[in-house]
Amino acid sequence: MPKSLFEKVWDAHVVEELAGGNALVFVDRIVAHEITTPQGALEIQRSYGDELFDPARIVAINDHVSPAKDTETAIQAKVLRDWAKRHGIVLYDLGQNGICHVVAPERGYVEPGMTLACGDSHTCTLGAFGAFALGVGTTAQGGAMLAGCLVLARPKVMRVTLDGRLCAGATAKDLALCVVSTLGFKGGTGYVLEYAGEALTTLSMDERMTLCNMAIEAGATTGLIGPDETTFSYLRGRENQPTGEAFERKVAHWRALAADPGARYDREVRIDVAALRPMVSWGTNPGESVPIDGAVPADAEPASLRYMDLECGRPLRSIEIDQAFIGSCTNSRLSDLRAAAEVLRGRTVSVPTIITPGSQAVKRAAEREGLHDVFQDAGALWTHSSCGPCLGMSMGVLAPGSRCISSSNRNFPGRMGAGGRVHLASPAIVAASAVLGRIASPDELVPAVAVTS
Amino acid sequence: MIVEGGVLPLDRANVDTDQIIPAHFLTGIETTGLGKHLFSGMTGGAELLAAYPAASILVTRENFGCGSSREHAAWSLADRGFRAVVAPSFARIFFENAYNNGIAPVVVDDAAIDTLLGEASVRIDLDAGTLLTPGGAQMRFVLDPLRKEFLLSGGYMAFMAAKRDAVRAWLARSAQAQEETAFSAPM
Repeated sequence: MPKSLFEKVWDAHVVEELAGGNALVFVDRIVAHEITTPQGALEIQRSYGDELFDPARIVAINDHVSPAKDTETAIQAKVLRDWAKRHGIVLYDLGQNGICHVVAPERGYVEPGMTLACGDSHTCTLGAFGAFALGVGTTAQGGAMLAGCLVLARPKVMRVTLDGRLCAGATAKDLALCVVSTLGFKGGTGYVLEYAGEALTTLSMDERMTLCNMAIEAGATTGLIGPDETTFSYLRGRENQPTGEAFERKVAHWRALAADPGARYDREVRIDVAALRPMVSWGTNPGESVPIDGAVPADAEPASLRYMDLECGRPLRSIEIDQAFIGSCTNSRLSDLRAAAEVLRGRTVSVPTIITPGSQAVKRAAEREGLHDVFQDAGALWTHSSCGPCLGMSMGVLAPGSRCISSSNRNFPGRMGAGGRVHLASPAIVAASAVLGRIASPDELVPAVAVTS
Repeated sequence: MIVEGGVLPLDRANVDTDQIIPAHFLTGIETTGLGKHLFSGMTGGAELLAAYPAASILVTRENFGCGSSREHAAWSLADRGFRAVVAPSFARIFFENAYNNGIAPVVVDDAAIDTLLGEASVRIDLDAGTLLTPGGAQMRFVLDPLRKEFLLSGGYMAFMAAKRDAVRAWLARSAQAQEETAFSAPM
């Protein structure tokens, strides 16, 4: 019987079928960060003799608030650090760390066909590799640390076919916002999204991660993309992957993961993205997004309008902003920073602008290309890697009523600070908006002042 | 098991976990004591809680608990004394977290929610799958039979611990294990 990509991965990991349509699903990799891991680690220490199923499957990363901002966050980082040392768990700590969904793949810990769990909803990012990667709660992560498995209800599978190729100006972020606004904020609940279609073929791994990152914003368990030459090239020669024949043997296995012709899906959605324009959110969930050329919809949710202080029919380009943020697990990789730098080169931002690389490795790569000079010449703040302002935890919390355009993934009320308002967009749109002080696209900018490089 | 208590009517859809407990309260390493932060990210949240001080059953609209995976959302509800959340639908991760923290995620339809939002209290029979209003209206719901055991016994971790030998045996005999040994352990 033909199988989807998801079915192949799922079936290879079911240890036991359980009551109620649940299954005990083996977890190949656990990514553990300092906000949601300590509680489970301490529970295992207190009640289960501090015994982990297999420490070699765990990657620990201090990522949310690093360096610590206060005593409490310092304790979180220390608990994770001590736990990792005690068990011989590989740890990416201050100086070598970054956002876990950026660090794990860049260090070669994510590969096609694997199952991966992390106490973080944006773990779906890593489905870009054709892995079944999902966010879970602390207890579920703790259970995986203890017994190597998750208890999961088998999700349904929705194939989301993206027809056509992206035209100039449209990015993976726009694809992601388009998918979420098409499915709706909860339209993917109970499903994994298996992406397909021509639009994927030209997407880099960075871009695929951006697309899959926002599957959770439609409520989906995760998003997956079938592995192909782009995936294999990304992994070939990467640290923590084998080399030579051993790697090519893995590739042969990964090729077999592609969805079989005739595979059946619980739901099919097709979206023609050939004419996709840059998307910007106007409301208080990522599904409330429209093309930048458009306006706040006539049927906009009143509560969202009130929170965002907007009215129906308001052109997006007329909305003034107070702050701009480029970063987060959605858009903080090298290609994102290059896109922002292309816009900011020789220009000046007109609102406070924070640019946060997704990892310290990304930061160093960006600096080797001189991107940090471009950003700082433009007047932006170039920071170390962090989850940072995205979740209003540190490094750029919004004031009540302040409006931020952001390359992140959530525009929930209060997400980036109590009373703060967030518009989601791609790095290029955020950069152009930072220059003009209102929601804007790069094609509106006057030619940049020539700079010698 | 019977859960009976006052209703907290939260007539909103898509209540995300940032509203239930904002990120700046996620800085601890324990699961207790978070009730004081419940709904602190929600406009009118504090006033709502103050108006229903004895409530132990939250009645709300669709897609409750969407967004972040933070189990702190369930911990803060449990710490505040909530034993059930009644809604037409839940986000997946919150749904699992609720079961693992003694909070029954009870799914009923929109019409039932319309009724329940106006009730002062309800009585929920978790075993029978029935929900009873003071006026005598009865609604039915179905709990996940496996997760219901976690709910009643608080036993997710104990359940997992008991599975360890079976998991090791599976791993030893599965083809997956052979492939895994060929590929890099992260050390």
